Amino acid sequence: MFFHIVMERNMQLHPRHFGRNLRENIVSKLMKDVEGTCSGRHGFVVAITGIENIGKGLIRDGTGFVTFPVKYQCVVFRPFKGEILEAVVTMVNKMGFFAEAGPVQIFVSNHLIPDDMEFQSGDMPNYTTSDGSVKIQKDSEVRLKIIGTRVDATEIFCIGTIKDDFLGVINDPATA
Amino acid sequence: MGSTEEPDGSTSQVSVTEVLEEESTKQNTCTHPGSFGDMCIICGQRLEQESGVTFGYIHKGLRLNNDEIVRLRSKDMKNLLRHKKLHLVLDLDHTLLNSTQLVHMTPEEEYLKSQTDSLQDVSNGSLFMLENMHMMTKLRPFVRTFLKEASEMYEMHIYTMGDRAYALAMANILDPKREYFGERVISRDDGTQKHQKGLDVVLGQESAVLILDDTENAWTKHKENLILMERYHFFRSSCHQFGFNCKSLSELKSDESETEGALATVLKVLKQIHNNFFDNTSDNLMGRDVRQVLKTLRQEILKDCKIVFSRVFPTKFQAENHQLWKMAEQLGATCSTELDPSVTHVVATDAGTEKSRWAAKEKKFLVHPRWIEATNYLWQKLPEENFSVSVVKNQ
Repeated sequence: MFFHIVMERNMQLHPRHFGRNLRENIVSKLMKDVEGTCSGRHGFVVAITGIENIGKGLIRDGTGFVTFPVKYQCVVFRPFKGEILEAVVTMVNKMGFFAEAGPVQIFVSNHLIPDDMEFQSGDMPNYTTSDGSVKIQKDSEVRLKIIGTRVDATEIFCIGTIKDDFLGVINDPATA
Repeated sequence: MGSTEEPDGSTSQVSVTEVLEEESTKQNTCTHPGSFGDMCIICGQRLEQESGVTFGYIHKGLRLNNDEIVRLRSKDMKNLLRHKKLHLVLDLDHTLLNSTQLVHMTPEEEYLKSQTDSLQDVSNGSLFMLENMHMMTKLRPFVRTFLKEASEMYEMHIYTMGDRAYALAMANILDPKREYFGERVISRDDGTQKHQKGLDVVLGQESAVLILDDTENAWTKHKENLILMERYHFFRSSCHQFGFNCKSLSELKSDESETEGALATVLKVLKQIHNNFFDNTSDNLMGRDVRQVLKTLRQEILKDCKIVFSRVFPTKFQAENHQLWKMAEQLGATCSTELDPSVTHVVATDAGTEKSRWAAKEKKFLVHPRWIEATNYLWQKLPEENFSVSVVKNQ
């Protein structure tokens, strides 16, 4: 799920950046440092939407670097256990399938795929119902439920299921 | 008319509690068959690294428990047999191709740099320059036909001692459409033991896997699954690495024969093994073992031969343990240390030894040890005349 939150960060700036463009430099460094990173608490920082406040800079003893406390607004993405998400399938194999929802990598094990779907190997491995009406293959869009999440510095891993009601393929790429 | 109160409210309350309890018992009774990002793939619980094997080459973060691996292998076996396929694990270096670092190329090999094939459309090329890895690679003749035909009988895997980047680059050249190997590209980063290859990271039943590799020592635990390949030395650096101080194929502007080279030969063997495995007998298919089929086929090659070795092994060496003795026995020959009328071949490097002279007198075959090695590589009993032995000059 996406959230729009306020976060705070201490930005350290080298004196070469001081001058007329100080604020711009702070903001661009902030964007470079923070956008695209993950934290366990907030999730994946998608984009910075605005700067709320830049505090007074504090010169660090002995180095000449200056630390500015910056309060900024940003959009973050964080999946939660129990959440329903839509994702795109990236890989299908006999163990289940892998899907992506933005920066989030989700694995749905074959234990959590409905029993009436069988794995078919071949050029385009897929899971198909016995009557062939529903097929999950690479690039299919699926609705799944998150069973567990784990966040590390750059990626978010999730375990998902499609065994519940209303979960499964949303869009069949073959007919799209 | 009495009103029947439908106890909806209380029923749903009960069912909610039931669902919650079910969730926690699910976690407690979960067998944790595997993990993704350290979370159980069924219940999502955070798991410590327990028993099992990491399958990073399939997807980063994937790990499977031993029981689950057994279950998957058994399921895979049923699927394979239904499609009449077996597993084939292929080594890269010296088996399917030969690579060299650019700095190791000799002046006589410089001409190759202007003859490389395009990396944009690899399907017809055989010589490639990989700038970012500072190397060149040459595919073995016949490799594309080999892969195409083998893929109809075998599900194929790449297993190399190179690192992952190298493995993926080579897989891309050999299989640009990802139709042969899929995600089954195993590198040394995926192995569980240093300097050893193992079938523990291959999701196939050991009784249904064949291995093609030029290095026997990499597969000490799975020698019965191995078909040893003759090494492909195209570049000078490769010859040099194995101690051959001769001009390489690249320097001689020559190459291995396409139709009679090692890959063509081994393809025939693979077809034969596949045939023998799936032939229609009343046997239960699930009980068959490809290692047995391989062994039986190999034992046909020298089956009527009785071999005695003369001064081939170091004096105090236990003859039966020597590699050549074992190789001859695997090929179906009977080996002996004593001469008798039933002996058919004497193997020696010097025609002047006592046993060699006995062979000449009794009109038995006198062959160089290379006859056994060549027979092993080419899967057929080669003409003994091509391996005759001359008298070693006295010093």
